[in-house]
Amino acid sequence: MTTAARLGLAAVLLIAGWDKIGAPARSVMAVEAYQLLPKGAAEIVGYGLPIFEIVIGVLLIVGLLTRLAGIVTGLLMVAFIIGVASAWARGLSIDCGCFGGGGQIDPSQTQYPQTILRDVAFLAMAAWVAVKPPGKLALDTVLGLGGRSDDDRDDTSDDDHAAPDADPKE
Amino acid sequence: MSKTARTSAREKVRAEREREQRRAKRQRQIVVPLVVLVVVAAVVGIGFYMARKGNETGTYAGGLAPVTVQPDGSVVMAKPGVEKPVVEIYEDFQCPGCKELERVNGATFKQLAAEGKAKVVYRPLTIFDPSQKPIYEVSVRGAAAARCVPGDKWVQYHDKLYENQPVEGKQGFTPDELIEYGKQVGVTGAEFEGCVRNQTHAQAHIKASDELKKSGGLQGTPTVKINGQDVGNQAFTADGLKKAVADATK
Repeated sequence: MTTAARLGLAAVLLIAGWDKIGAPARSVMAVEAYQLLPKGAAEIVGYGLPIFEIVIGVLLIVGLLTRLAGIVTGLLMVAFIIGVASAWARGLSIDCGCFGGGGQIDPSQTQYPQTILRDVAFLAMAAWVAVKPPGKLALDTVLGLGGRSDDDRDDTSDDDHAAPDADPKE
Repeated sequence: MSKTARTSAREKVRAEREREQRRAKRQRQIVVPLVVLVVVAAVVGIGFYMARKGNETGTYAGGLAPVTVQPDGSVVMAKPGVEKPVVEIYEDFQCPGCKELERVNGATFKQLAAEGKAKVVYRPLTIFDPSQKPIYEVSVRGAAAARCVPGDKWVQYHDKLYENQPVEGKQGFTPDELIEYGKQVGVTGAEFEGCVRNQTHAQAHIKASDELKKSGGLQGTPTVKINGQDVGNQAFTADGLKKAVADATK
């Protein structure tokens, strides 16, 4: 379950980041369309968010710092939900700019409820990842970053393979 | 050495080794995340830097290709005989994204047309809904005034409108301001002033906007189409736009 959530979120973040990254002007424009941030801050988000989404997506795929990545993804979703809800409440007609795009659209084409529902689902997945990391096939396990030793499963044996240099045999 | 002494020595060694392992694990749990975070910060930093670099304001100082205002309110900028590729710009003078597009690629559109590489068509419309006040009125006033401007000054006036774009939700593009922008680009006279003050072309503009919106295929503003195809992200960097036009020329 954690693994599925991890990979699902990773796919979403990678696609979202990739669709935005080639066109910083458009990305900034999408952020500005929300009219929530002052010009400078909108630019920072517009430039930074695409690459940030991609990096978090990669961390989720490989299962590195899984809990932190899950928490950050959850926070991102909360921010997106707030942004979309506030655009909706203020009667703006904008494209959410979630996967590229963005900017003003015809009022009949807005999709606020769908977008919020979708992001709530992503938020739930992120919460799951944050609560039960790291799932299968995770670098966290290989590197012994699990943190707790009580739910080790085959953690200990992995550990010995991963760090043979830690016990010099006499 | 006695047996007990040997055992206790061995246990001591083992305890020592376990301590060592725990210490190593603890260290790893601090060092590895730190390294990862540093790498993450570096990658985000590089991405950020490149995004900023890809977002530079375009400049073009050369002359413009001939500009003609069409009966439907669209405006063609092209060298004589250049029929394709057709680059269409769907824009709203009040839309911040359109200002952004203009900032990045306004120069590229002019250059492409002047070099005969494309036929550029401006299609101003009001994307906003009449219920959205005051941005709707501001948009319509600006666009209606632009229709009062003859072709040879139209692009300059268009640029002035973006330069002075009112903050969304604030009033702006008042008749006095719109007339003043005209003066700044060399459009004067009672006819122009009357045209702006009376909003002579407002209804025609609203009708044209509704038709553009209804005709489908328009996601929002700004949209750039090349030979009828929405070019999406590519339109928002100078290199992307030039490449899209080159690809459409093949």
